[in-house]
Amino acid sequence: MTHVLIKDLTRRFDSVIAVNNLNLEIESGEMVAFLGPSGCGKTTTLRMITGLLLPTSGDVLFDSKSVLTIPTEKRGAVMVFQKHLLFPTMNVAKNIGFGLRMAKMPQKEIDRRVSEMLELVRLPGFETRRPHELSGGQQQRIALARALIVRPNVLLLDEPLANLDANLRLEMRELIRTIQNELNTTAIFVTHDQEEAVMLADRIALMFNGVLQQFDTPQAFYERPNSAQVARFFRNDNMILGTRRGSVVETPSGNLEIDAGRVDQSDGPVMVTVRPEDVALVPSDNTNLVQAKVLTQVYMGTHKQVQLDVMGHTWLAHGPADFEIEVGQTLPIQLPKTHIWLLPSENGLQNV
Amino acid sequence: MQKAVRWIAAISITLGVLLPVVPQIIWSFAHRWLFPNLLPTEWSLSSWEYVFTASSRVGEGFINSLLIATFVCFLSILVGLPAARAIALNDFKGKGLVEWILMVPIIVPGIVSTLGIHQLFIRLHLTNTFIGVSLVHLIPCIPYMVLVMTSVFANYGTELEDTARTLGANPLQVLLRVTLPGILPGLMVATMFTFLISWGQYITSVLIGGGTIVTLPMVLFPFISGVNYSNAAAISLIFVAPAILVLVLISRQLGQDSAVMGGFGRL
Amino acid sequence: MNRLKLFEKLRVPMMLFPALAIVVLLFGGGMISGIGQSVGYFPVIGLQDFTLDYYRDILTDSGFIESLWLTFRLAFLSTLMSSVIAVLFALVLRHAFRGSQFLTFLYQIPIPIPHLVVATGIVLLVSQSGLLSRGAVTLGLTSTPRDFPVMVFDRPGIAIQLTYLWKEVPFIGIVVLAVLKSVGPQYEEIAQTLGANRWQRFRFVLLPLIMPGILSTSIIVFAFVFANYEIPLLLGVRYPTTLPVMAFRNYQDPDLALRPQAMAISVILAIVAILLLVAYKRLAKYAAET
Repeated sequence: MTHVLIKDLTRRFDSVIAVNNLNLEIESGEMVAFLGPSGCGKTTTLRMITGLLLPTSGDVLFDSKSVLTIPTEKRGAVMVFQKHLLFPTMNVAKNIGFGLRMAKMPQKEIDRRVSEMLELVRLPGFETRRPHELSGGQQQRIALARALIVRPNVLLLDEPLANLDANLRLEMRELIRTIQNELNTTAIFVTHDQEEAVMLADRIALMFNGVLQQFDTPQAFYERPNSAQVARFFRNDNMILGTRRGSVVETPSGNLEIDAGRVDQSDGPVMVTVRPEDVALVPSDNTNLVQAKVLTQVYMGTHKQVQLDVMGHTWLAHGPADFEIEVGQTLPIQLPKTHIWLLPSENGLQNV
Repeated sequence: MQKAVRWIAAISITLGVLLPVVPQIIWSFAHRWLFPNLLPTEWSLSSWEYVFTASSRVGEGFINSLLIATFVCFLSILVGLPAARAIALNDFKGKGLVEWILMVPIIVPGIVSTLGIHQLFIRLHLTNTFIGVSLVHLIPCIPYMVLVMTSVFANYGTELEDTARTLGANPLQVLLRVTLPGILPGLMVATMFTFLISWGQYITSVLIGGGTIVTLPMVLFPFISGVNYSNAAAISLIFVAPAILVLVLISRQLGQDSAVMGGFGRL
Repeated sequence: MNRLKLFEKLRVPMMLFPALAIVVLLFGGGMISGIGQSVGYFPVIGLQDFTLDYYRDILTDSGFIESLWLTFRLAFLSTLMSSVIAVLFALVLRHAFRGSQFLTFLYQIPIPIPHLVVATGIVLLVSQSGLLSRGAVTLGLTSTPRDFPVMVFDRPGIAIQLTYLWKEVPFIGIVVLAVLKSVGPQYEEIAQTLGANRWQRFRFVLLPLIMPGILSTSIIVFAFVFANYEIPLLLGVRYPTTLPVMAFRNYQDPDLALRPQAMAISVILAIVAILLLVAYKRLAKYAAET
């Protein structure tokens, strides 16, 4: 239930800038993912929010009050790590009750709240188990309970779904979302896995090299990435250069019609992109056709993934699972008008 | 605050470690060092010359100590490695008892067994012999070797060896090319401890060696209780030399390899 | 096939046998021979009959009780002080900072140095004519050796304690340090975000993690000091002395009749050590769990 504001936050390590002038506003009760490749500054930001690390400059505010002078142990920003989850020297009840014990709450009250928490994470009766007797998923739930029992201002999670197999991921995702909604806790988690971010977060803050790239809903990252780099991080490498003139983009392989109301790049050089799942391998009419040569094809069960050469650029497209096609074949593909998105061209394709 | 703590630690460690060492170095070169001078008024090499005379028996003691310690290390590795490996990688009936038996000599004062062994060795004509002294040194050495190496083997596991086997290595090749290189850092630490336990033994050597087998501590001992500080200092520096050499060789493992030091946590 | 099976069955026993055989024969044999002598089986001087007289003689001797107390006090204090100091240093040295590697190396230097050498160094340092005493005169704090406090051949055994401290602090220290380094800072960070202050993080998170290491090294140190002979002989007063010195003195006495007594003393020494260690382990286990 805490509103978090990150203002001009910067952290240097010697000459390296780990986090560069970060500005973020996280609504109370929201769940936000810090997403990015390792070394992008997401964990550094998390540690600055907890107070385990001091910023070089900038500010962190909870409910409009700066927390920089408040030591970690009084800040109420509770961390759940991916590994080293539970204190190995304590049983489950001691682990969950740890924060309350530190606050010197009476043992009876602690016991009561611990069993409440165990109900919440669906592990009732686990009080006397030792951490090494638990499965990975159970450990993670206990760690979550241990964090939530102190009613944190902000819950911070480090790759909460990593190290879990596919079924557990879904189950854990449901659990985290349910609990977070129920307790209405503001939560931030870091991950390098865009799938994990999309599954869990209300909004995603994507960072590269210490710089915030885009802060948006998961859907926006698929539909409206604001740079080629962002698009690529979300597994879209289908791009060609062009020049926008009104509702048309001129490309070396012909003019493409676009939905002028949907795109946000103005006239001039742009990059045209269509997500692999939106490329039509079987055109429905004669608009926006582009010649492509099949490089490889992979049967994926639910669909067929086809790798194409589009004017010297390698594209991916998804076709029906039973789509008949041969490697080396040339075919026209359709870039549907309603799925074309324009990116700024300054990065160019040379850096791909 | 943190800086101040580090400075205090740095100063106390430096002073604490060096203070007892410095006077020994100075004394070994002192000829005349009257109270209350902070440094000798006359220097000389006479103590060092004395150390290298045959009559001082320092050379003889050094060689005996070195031979015994090396022999003890060799035997400890020979019997200790298989035992440590068996304990680390297998579950078997009576494992607890085996571990207990191999641990007892570390925590039960060896004085009873040593005095008892003296009687046995007299009957077996092992007193006053090289073998007798080595055997009695083995009692604490084997348990330490097993203790450290059990932890090392448990940490190393068998996956790499299994991989090597599937790649066509025979047992000997696995041992020489996979296992030994893998456990070597731990083995070096264990061997150092074993060497030093034997190297530092005094009363056991006196009792079983009976004055026939003279080891370096036995040469040093009378000088410490006597009055010739210069000779005591010179001999004691010689006594330390191999130990320091070993430490330099393995100090990296000591500070970092938690599996090795973890052995002492298994007791 | 059968031979392979048999080999598989015998593999573990064969690996264990040599080590077990040596330890059981030498240590066990020595123990039995020693215990035998302490209850009157000493055929060399014509003793054959079982008796507990030697134990009675010793246990009623006030000198023995005094020695036992001294031995216990030295071992207990050395172990306790070494553990506390070792933990303090380990807490500093586990962080990487400028010079920390060199400092760690320096810290390890005492580990390989034999106790006898340490004893020599301590005498040359803290005796009334030692380096410290000379320093005190130079600084104008004292004027003669006699003004300097007695630390060698003294009843409290200060030089003895210093020798043990110098040796055992790094030994306990590197084990604790290794544990701390492998544990990493994350448990403390979790605890801190959960509201634990500096002391609580040490008491409830770190201490339980390093306790097993402290305990097992403490036991080794305690057992070593409890049974050590040469340090109290070299640096301590002649009377009262520690039990090991007393035992060896009796043992090496030309009067062979004193030998069974020596054996009885050392058997008692071993029993007391075992009892104390068991009690200590129990107590510490209890302390770690609560």
